[in-house]
Amino acid sequence: MAEWVRVGSAGSVPEGEITAFAAGERQVAVANVEGDLHAFDDTCTHQQCSLAEGELDGTTVECACHGSLFDVITGEAIGGPAVDPVGVFEVKEEDGELKVLVDEE
Amino acid sequence: MTAFVVVGAGVAGATAAAKVREEGFDGELVLIGAETMAPYERPPLSKEYLRGESDHHFVRPPEWYAEHQIDARFGAKAERVNVSDRVVELEGGERVPFDQVVIATGARNRRPKIDGLDLPGVFDLRFAPDADAIKRAAKEGSKAVMVGMGFIGAEVAASLRQLGLDVTVVEFFGTPLERVLGPTLGGAIESLHRDHGVEMIFRDGAERFEGDGRFEAMITKEGRRIEGDFAVVGVGVEPVTEVADGGVPVDNGIPVDASLRTSAEGVWAIGDVARHDHPVFGPIRVEHFDNALKMGEHVAKNLLGTPAAFDDAHWFWSDQYDAEIQMAGFATEWDDMVVRGSIEDRSFSAFLLKDGRLLSTFSMNRKFDVRRSMPLIAAKAHPDGRQLADPEFDLRQLHPPKEQAT
Repeated sequence: MAEWVRVGSAGSVPEGEITAFAAGERQVAVANVEGDLHAFDDTCTHQQCSLAEGELDGTTVECACHGSLFDVITGEAIGGPAVDPVGVFEVKEEDGELKVLVDEE
Repeated sequence: MTAFVVVGAGVAGATAAAKVREEGFDGELVLIGAETMAPYERPPLSKEYLRGESDHHFVRPPEWYAEHQIDARFGAKAERVNVSDRVVELEGGERVPFDQVVIATGARNRRPKIDGLDLPGVFDLRFAPDADAIKRAAKEGSKAVMVGMGFIGAEVAASLRQLGLDVTVVEFFGTPLERVLGPTLGGAIESLHRDHGVEMIFRDGAERFEGDGRFEAMITKEGRRIEGDFAVVGVGVEPVTEVADGGVPVDNGIPVDASLRTSAEGVWAIGDVARHDHPVFGPIRVEHFDNALKMGEHVAKNLLGTPAAFDDAHWFWSDQYDAEIQMAGFATEWDDMVVRGSIEDRSFSAFLLKDGRLLSTFSMNRKFDVRRSMPLIAAKAHPDGRQLADPEFDLRQLHPPKEQAT
């Protein structure tokens, strides 16, 4: 069952940046693309590096380890050595909190 | 039906075959590789795989090729690309017809003429079974004797130290990687390994390996005798070009134009074997993972559409102990090196310039500078040295405006 989980405060991800948050058992990355937030699994599907340590360019995140590219909106692997997509999650700011919709594991 | 054949199933060849299919090609597709295992990434073989921290990373899952109607011939040896008959001849006599063929046969380790090189216990590292053999020999507390401290040698030395072995390396130059990086950056690698307890002997080389049925000691050209439990030789690679004998020109690899075409009609070459007429660097043969991957992706697009030049600025990484090393671009000589950060603290980037033009960037433990400098290298930019030296300056501010994605 999916559930909104508070991961941080509203406004904690500056524009053009990515921050990783713990959402229960998961590590979720939240990217701010020109004011729009996008949440996705922080773990690169290539060799498990943190994508939040990577570089955001438009809606593409480039993994800092080996250059895998993911679309932060769809989670699709669009370049580099990674083949499998990362999961994406709904994200919102509400009542001063940053919340991500994740499945209970 | 149109038939594409890819000869060589390393990262370049397997990526080319996979991408051609993923981009919608529905004709015949044959992938021929000498190794029996499904295509895998080689970088971990000297790092996490060698240390037993990870299993193989496959380019695609082993079952993927059959699921996508790729006729994968793993463990098959291609003998010749016969250009006039338009067939790839396999060992055993089979002839595989092609309309277009991609040669991605890669490179093999150089085998210098050293007495005793074939003794059991003298290893080199290129393929997965080589890594397995070294792993089996690398028991904690045993002693490894190594020849050569290029990237592979440096990574293997680091991994073996991390596994608790004694490591002695003999290197022909005055520092590790001196030929590629120069003495200052090579010195930074040397100090890293020195601090991790690697014994390094420079300006010396292997004269012969000795042992009674198995490696026991290496005798160096300077007359040293270095005993150990096994030896690892890493003295560079040479391109595997024999398949080109059937009508494809060879000259330090297989020459290709900017778009990865050989001079033979319908014959392409990619990866370590390709000597590529690079739009930025000129003719260059590159032996790194990312180049193999990107050339594989690129040739797939060129096979299916209008051929475009491959102009990637080249990038690779090398993890040694806790040091994350990256490098981009290509420089054989430079007249200026601008350093950002501190070499002593092992947190720095070094920008190599010639006549003010940025040719290459090397970094240790600075995640972003190398990749952010790639658009500058590709644009043949002449960046301001003070901005390069300033750790606070974001190199993305110097990027040329982006072309619209097509």
